[in-house]
Amino acid sequence: MRWFFSFLCAALLGLSSALSSSGSRLLVVLEDVAEKGSYGGFFGDLEARGFHLAFETPKSPSLALLKFGELAYDHLLLLPTKAKGLGPALTATQLLEFMKKEGNILLALSGDHGTPTAVQSLLLELDIHLPSDRNSLVVDHFNYDGESAKDKHDVVLVPFPKVVRTDVKDYFGGEGVIAVPRAVGQTLGNESPLLAPILRAPSTAYSYNPKDESEIVEDPFAVGAQLNLVSAMQAHNSARLTILGSAEMLQDAWFEAKASLNGKAITTANRDFVAKVSGWTFKELGVLKIGKFVHYLDEGVSKKVNTSSAIPENNPSIYRIKNDVTFQVPISEYVSTHWTPYTPPSGDNIQLEFSMLSPFHRLNLSPLSQTANATLFGTTFKTPDQHGIFNFRVDYKRPFLTNIDEKRQVTVRHFAHDEWPRSWQISGAWVWIAGIWVTVGAWVGFIALWLYSAPTEKVGGKKTQ
Amino acid sequence: MAATEGDQFLKQATGRNTRGLLRVIILCLIAGAAVSSRLFSVIRFESIIHEFDPWFNFRATKYLVQNGFYSFWDWFDDRTWHPLGRVTGGTLYPGLMVTSGVIYHLLRFLTLPVDIRNICVLLAPAFSGLTALATYLLTSEMVTSPSAGLLAAAFMGITPGYISRSVAGSYDNEAIAIFLLVFTFFLWIKAVKNGSVFWGALTALFYGYMVSAWGGYVFITNLLPLHAFVLICMGRYSPRLYVSYTSWYALGTLASMQIPFVGFLPIRSSEHMSALGVFGLLQIVAFVEFVRVQLPSKQFQTLLRALVVLIFVVSFGGLVLLTVTGVIAPWTGRFYSLWDTGYAKIHIPIIASVSEHQPTAWPAFFFDLSMMIWLFPAGVYMCFRSLTDEQVFIVIYAVLASYFAGVMVRLMLTLTPIVCVASAIAFSQILDTYLDVKTPKAESNENGTSDPAKVAASAILPDSLRSTRNPLVGIYSYASKLTVVGASAVYLMLFVLHCTWVTSNAYSSPSVVLASRLPDGSQHIIDDYREAYYWLRQNTADNAKIMSWWDYGYQIGGMADRPTLVDNNTWNNTHIATVGKAMSSREEVSYPIMRQHEVDYVLVVFGGLLGYSGDDINKFLWMVRIAEGIWPDEVKERNFFTPRGEYRVDDEATPTMRNSLMYKMSYYNYNSLFPAGQAQDRVRGSRLPAEGPQLSTIEEAFTSENWIIRIYKVKDLDNFGRDHQSAGAFDKGHKKKRASKRKGARVLRVE
Repeated sequence: MRWFFSFLCAALLGLSSALSSSGSRLLVVLEDVAEKGSYGGFFGDLEARGFHLAFETPKSPSLALLKFGELAYDHLLLLPTKAKGLGPALTATQLLEFMKKEGNILLALSGDHGTPTAVQSLLLELDIHLPSDRNSLVVDHFNYDGESAKDKHDVVLVPFPKVVRTDVKDYFGGEGVIAVPRAVGQTLGNESPLLAPILRAPSTAYSYNPKDESEIVEDPFAVGAQLNLVSAMQAHNSARLTILGSAEMLQDAWFEAKASLNGKAITTANRDFVAKVSGWTFKELGVLKIGKFVHYLDEGVSKKVNTSSAIPENNPSIYRIKNDVTFQVPISEYVSTHWTPYTPPSGDNIQLEFSMLSPFHRLNLSPLSQTANATLFGTTFKTPDQHGIFNFRVDYKRPFLTNIDEKRQVTVRHFAHDEWPRSWQISGAWVWIAGIWVTVGAWVGFIALWLYSAPTEKVGGKKTQ
Repeated sequence: MAATEGDQFLKQATGRNTRGLLRVIILCLIAGAAVSSRLFSVIRFESIIHEFDPWFNFRATKYLVQNGFYSFWDWFDDRTWHPLGRVTGGTLYPGLMVTSGVIYHLLRFLTLPVDIRNICVLLAPAFSGLTALATYLLTSEMVTSPSAGLLAAAFMGITPGYISRSVAGSYDNEAIAIFLLVFTFFLWIKAVKNGSVFWGALTALFYGYMVSAWGGYVFITNLLPLHAFVLICMGRYSPRLYVSYTSWYALGTLASMQIPFVGFLPIRSSEHMSALGVFGLLQIVAFVEFVRVQLPSKQFQTLLRALVVLIFVVSFGGLVLLTVTGVIAPWTGRFYSLWDTGYAKIHIPIIASVSEHQPTAWPAFFFDLSMMIWLFPAGVYMCFRSLTDEQVFIVIYAVLASYFAGVMVRLMLTLTPIVCVASAIAFSQILDTYLDVKTPKAESNENGTSDPAKVAASAILPDSLRSTRNPLVGIYSYASKLTVVGASAVYLMLFVLHCTWVTSNAYSSPSVVLASRLPDGSQHIIDDYREAYYWLRQNTADNAKIMSWWDYGYQIGGMADRPTLVDNNTWNNTHIATVGKAMSSREEVSYPIMRQHEVDYVLVVFGGLLGYSGDDINKFLWMVRIAEGIWPDEVKERNFFTPRGEYRVDDEATPTMRNSLMYKMSYYNYNSLFPAGQAQDRVRGSRLPAEGPQLSTIEEAFTSENWIIRIYKVKDLDNFGRDHQSAGAFDKGHKKKRASKRKGARVLRVE
């Protein structure tokens, strides 16, 4: 039950200090500290959710993301700045270093300001691409706000995103319309499995530079659903980076603004969406935790011993080939305030690999039971007929969920010399065993006959035929 | 020698006992000399296990002592051949370890707790004393002269050919196997002489022990049948031979099949077929003998002819059929290389890459056997003179072992005993002849032909050979006696000197520790191997996997106690080739291989700084060749040579060479030791490129004092999904360039 207590402690700690699963220190970097008034609602929400906010400007000499090689803040919110450079404390290398230490970044871009070079090279490194000209905006002539962008069509109104794949959990769904004013669209590289779109532009949107004199856009940076308004990147160590195309989305002015879509008056639902995006980025959502691997020999005597207590005896380090083995692992998910039992989305399975160089078994783990904080997944299988050093491996990497890649090494040995069936238990051997005993018997019989028929000493001289 | 000293006691009543006592004392002294001449390495360095294979034997012995016999028997070793593991209990010859374990427990039982390491270190010298004894027994069976046996024992005790594999710390199978070999031969000779089931069974018992100790048991398996076969061919079939051979074969085969590693080989592999064949032949010959007694000779002739033809056709056809269908295993590569020395080099590079499988260079015979190499033919010739059953054995053994020793360096070991025996026979003949104090009576010579000496001599010696027709008379002149005896004594002295010199200079280096001389003559110990192995032991996780070339596998397992990918038990050529491929390919190719095999550290041996020539760059071509054997399309040996066919590491090295992981690991950061552009490789004697190689997927973790061992850590995947080259470039400050112009169709992202 130890893991249960640790869960409990973690949950209690979370309640007392912060609601994020990974710490509450949040650094906000903005052009001018005075500017924070316009984001009052957003900051208020963050503080209400338990974050401790610190404000710095890029030029501030005291600004440092890492202190003595450790994180000075757990999360970073980068709001757009006017300057082209972000200063020595916020270089692309520093930001990557921050993420290597599992710091999370919420990066807000703005079409008004242009993107700093540090951010540009950071995104380029991560295979996220921005339009090459400074002032490109996402424009949509069908889904624009009739109130504020009647002529420019640069405030795009989009519904809450739907899940892009069936096996992905829906963390950003909701009711209503989101206003995305003057957004910088991003495109994502096709190679990296670490990238995922959160909010994609409507199919009629495209990237357009309003300073461009020409009437027609010849070769837009990207169009339609290829253009992302909000996109996410989660590194191997589960550090998260969210790129928010429009910083204005976070501002009070757009939180519950009146807008009109195709003549219909609506209220934007930015507050809800932004809470979800920031909650995900700062690890209040979609955080998985894997408990202790438990595996045991599920046959013979040990079966009884193991199943009698709640936690079976220590995980053995060695099995034999063709053993029945049971494997169990508890997995919990962090939801805003506490750890809850994790249930994978329908159409998705957590899998166990039993592998040596390549998997010999790849099995779906089925939920066995639930505790207050975790779901116990498990399966039973027979070790393959191949000795070697195997790994129990749970490799579960899905968009928007922290990565699970855990393995435990066990040895699978060959049959010991006394574990084979005895010869008389094999019916095919009976012929040979009979052969042996017939030979032995015949030999003894022959000797007996020989001795019996031996001529007596006295007759010795004359041999009778 | 014993005989001459004992001469004066001859006529006394106590003469026999005194000579026996003297013989015992002399044998003890010989054993003492044999043991003490093997202790150079312990005295000079320390009580340490040597070389490579002994480290595995030592580790296995420790396992045996700690976990008991049954778990040793079923041992699955998960710390070698990662991730395959090794069924060690079923793939080793357990005789050596069990012997040490028994000694260990015996000493503990006698309340003498001795560290298992010391038992292992000193096992080989102890058994060399026993070998000397066994040689004495074997030689004494051959000739009547007691001095021959003592000489043979003395030769065997100190000859470098045997010392090379049995110095203290050389804890290898051969350490006990040579004793068992000689002793089994002694028992066999005894059995053939007496025709006794008892001696035949004893032969089988020690043959079984030999099988459990060394793969070289096949030598006995083939030599004894050959002996029996030759005797039959010479028309010397006798019930004695029948009894001794059948009891040896039946019991010995059963005994050998108890060893898991041997298993059913004695009835399935070609190497064992001669023993089975001769067994069958003996039955037939015995049967024919029986029939001959019962039948008139005319009918018997017809029957015999028919029988011989029939049996030959049936058995040969059967053998061919079984070999073709695969019931009898085909000959192994090591066996082929015994007949064709070029075979291994072409077909099985892994066998050829072992230096001890190379053909012997001729000076090695003089180096290892000294004066015995020219006494040896004389001894063999003397065996021809009387040619009793046991002397036929000497002749066969001599011929076979000479051939094998010429083919493979390590088989010098099997030649050594017979050389000692034969040359002792020759030498004792000289001494017996010339050390006789009495002058032969002059008149016997003058009287000519019909003297009693000749009659006596011809009674003992068969007069089939021309050399034996003239009787032995003796030496008249004291001068010639003195000269010859003096010369012999000088030769013996020189022999002792030579043996001691060779032992101390050539065979007493542990090879784990290197010794060198400082300019002032004092000894300097280079201890890089152990430094690095202990670094691994103390600084890495308990199951951190180490990838290195297989030579160092056993040492890493023994000294660093870390799992290795490949080791000196080269049972899986593909796995070795995988490591070879990882070493000889570009980083981009090697990295996935290393990830797949869960490699944490890579260890290379680099001798460039010190001029240590046994390093990995010099072994590199073998890695390439072995990898090429499995992946001929991906690794090509030709690409490692310059267009002019040179193997170079300097500016003119080929790009394949310079991009290979092995080259990079060897020379990484090496030029930082030198002024710019002056980096020098002292083994290859070449100046290195001004700019050293760059590594991206691995990082340097440790380099030993003299740079002999370099250890690299394999990096984890890049946190942001980049490849390591671009991640490294980014960290160095090279920002990625935005692709200014798209080429071709736009690549759309698909969710």
